[in-house]
Amino acid sequence: MTESTQRVSASSRTGSIYDLGYRRYEGPRLGRGYAVRALALDSLKTAYGIGHGGRAKIAPIVFGAIAILPAIIVVGFLALASRLGARSELEGASPITYDTYYSSITAVITLFCAAQAPELFSRDQRHGVIALYFARALRRADYAVARLAGFGVALLILLLLPMVILLIGRVLLSTDVAAAFGDDLPKLPAVVAQALVIASLFGSLSMAVCAFTPRRAYAIAGIIALFLIPGIVAGIVIGIGTSGGSTGSIGSVLVLLAPGTILDGTSALFFGKDLPEELAFFNLPMWTFLASAIVISVLATLLAVRRFVRMAT
Amino acid sequence: MALIATNALTKRYGSVTALDGLTVEIEPGIVGLVGSNGAGKSTFIKILLGLIDATSGSATVFDLDVATHGVQIRELVGYMPEHDCLPTDQSATDVVSHLAQISGLPRTAARERTAEVLRHVGLYEERYRAIGGYSTGMKQRVKLAQALVHDPRLLLLDEPTNGLDPAGRDEMLELVHRTGTEFGIAVIVASHLLGEIERVCDHLVAIEGGKLLRSAPLHAFTERIGTLAVEVGEGRDLLAARLAAAGLQTAVDGPSVLIDLVDERPFDLVRDTVAELGLPLVRIEQRRHRLEDLFRDAPQADGSGNGVAASAPVAVSTTAAPASGDGQPGDGR
Repeated sequence: MTESTQRVSASSRTGSIYDLGYRRYEGPRLGRGYAVRALALDSLKTAYGIGHGGRAKIAPIVFGAIAILPAIIVVGFLALASRLGARSELEGASPITYDTYYSSITAVITLFCAAQAPELFSRDQRHGVIALYFARALRRADYAVARLAGFGVALLILLLLPMVILLIGRVLLSTDVAAAFGDDLPKLPAVVAQALVIASLFGSLSMAVCAFTPRRAYAIAGIIALFLIPGIVAGIVIGIGTSGGSTGSIGSVLVLLAPGTILDGTSALFFGKDLPEELAFFNLPMWTFLASAIVISVLATLLAVRRFVRMAT
Repeated sequence: MALIATNALTKRYGSVTALDGLTVEIEPGIVGLVGSNGAGKSTFIKILLGLIDATSGSATVFDLDVATHGVQIRELVGYMPEHDCLPTDQSATDVVSHLAQISGLPRTAARERTAEVLRHVGLYEERYRAIGGYSTGMKQRVKLAQALVHDPRLLLLDEPTNGLDPAGRDEMLELVHRTGTEFGIAVIVASHLLGEIERVCDHLVAIEGGKLLRSAPLHAFTERIGTLAVEVGEGRDLLAARLAAAGLQTAVDGPSVLIDLVDERPFDLVRDTVAELGLPLVRIEQRRHRLEDLFRDAPQADGSGNGVAASAPVAVSTTAAPASGDGQPGDGR
């Protein structure tokens, strides 16, 4: 049968007016780098449920709103106080500032990771889609890195958006906009640095958990356990230490392993504050917290990449 | 050069040997990769894609080594896995166009190709709905579409008719056939259903236990016409003896006399002999061997020639083709 008669029969069978049939693709093939960028962008969208129906958006919107809420409340009170001429008093009393913001939303960031990381790192395993990715023009490590990059950017947005709201609110509500901007600007590098540390630490740890299970429930439980349990254990050890007991070097190791205490340490480092009392007890140089964050992020990423590279399809 | 060439390709999983020294060359065309479950078909396909590494031996696709040029090969290969591989919460359009981008197609081209390919496989309005609500047949079409969307030079289809009802199987096979013949895409179809695969292929590669049984054009498998079954109402043994005396290889099976067909000579001889003896002829039927029978008779790897012995006459086919031409003089008497 010739091509033309096949097409006619095909179109008459399906009833479509036009049946161009199958055509060759002569356009460009953009290769690995492009594939990685496309996958990273897809990961970013997926982290916020975009393109996956209404239900997929509930968790990211709820957790995102909770993460932003403190910034909006602060700006709201600031607006009120500025009207009443009590701004300086309020600023002194506000518990939420640039340097304390992240420690107040750590729980929400953890929940966001637990809810959304499985969508990026476990879902493809669960549905078998991962075989379709691995059968395309990228390497397995590319897949893992692209997914992580997308998730990292998603976390950065979640972390920096409230800070942007805070900054804009503070600047616009002040009597001298330029001066206010000048006052807040020096704090931004520390904010961005802390956001980067949180995004890389939480992102890589989440990926490391999800890479090992196609099951969403296990991944969620694993992430929450990994983020909370070391902190609880560290808290107990800190309690023993500060109340006069001997913890030896275990305490130092634990505070350098628990995500929560690591972030307390890097926050103090970036914002030029003293370590919280319970951490200062262990007499660790501040840079060790940053070093620990970097080492853990790298190891978690390598572990996850290795898992994807060796995954049976 | 061959499209695909392997040399002593071996894959072991612990103590299990999935591929055992497979050496084969495959030319462009529609190639059926046949073997029972666990014969090593999927393993073979995955090695060609660079999805898994061979334990030993080598393989090339488009003259590129699968161990070192996986990315370049995969850019020009479409793969339809055997198992479920589609997300449930996205539409076919979203999934296929996303995967097209991962294959390197620019965004707009990916969208256009997706629309064309989904139409090609027969998905219309439903392509905007979430895949979770699709039937198995629709999912198989989406799986084929994602393998075609980047216009590959080679399609690797692993059990494409899995889970389909008879009508769905026919449509899928028709699609595979069209894709291979009209668009010049080389296709390798893995299947354990030989009756299906012989309908669309022009070349067959049979493997069993990870070893190559045979690689030959389809007609080489089926050209040995096989067996002529002559069913008579009575006098079966007499007929068999007469025909044997005339120099034919005969055997009896139930009410029929089975004659090995090597050429056309037996047709006339059977007609004349039956007429001469005055036997009540019920039917004459040419039985084509099922491919299973051919493989069963060729236990050793045989890469060339038609070294397959004619199967034993007891190998009765269910897909028997009626004899043609002068083969049925006294039918239905």
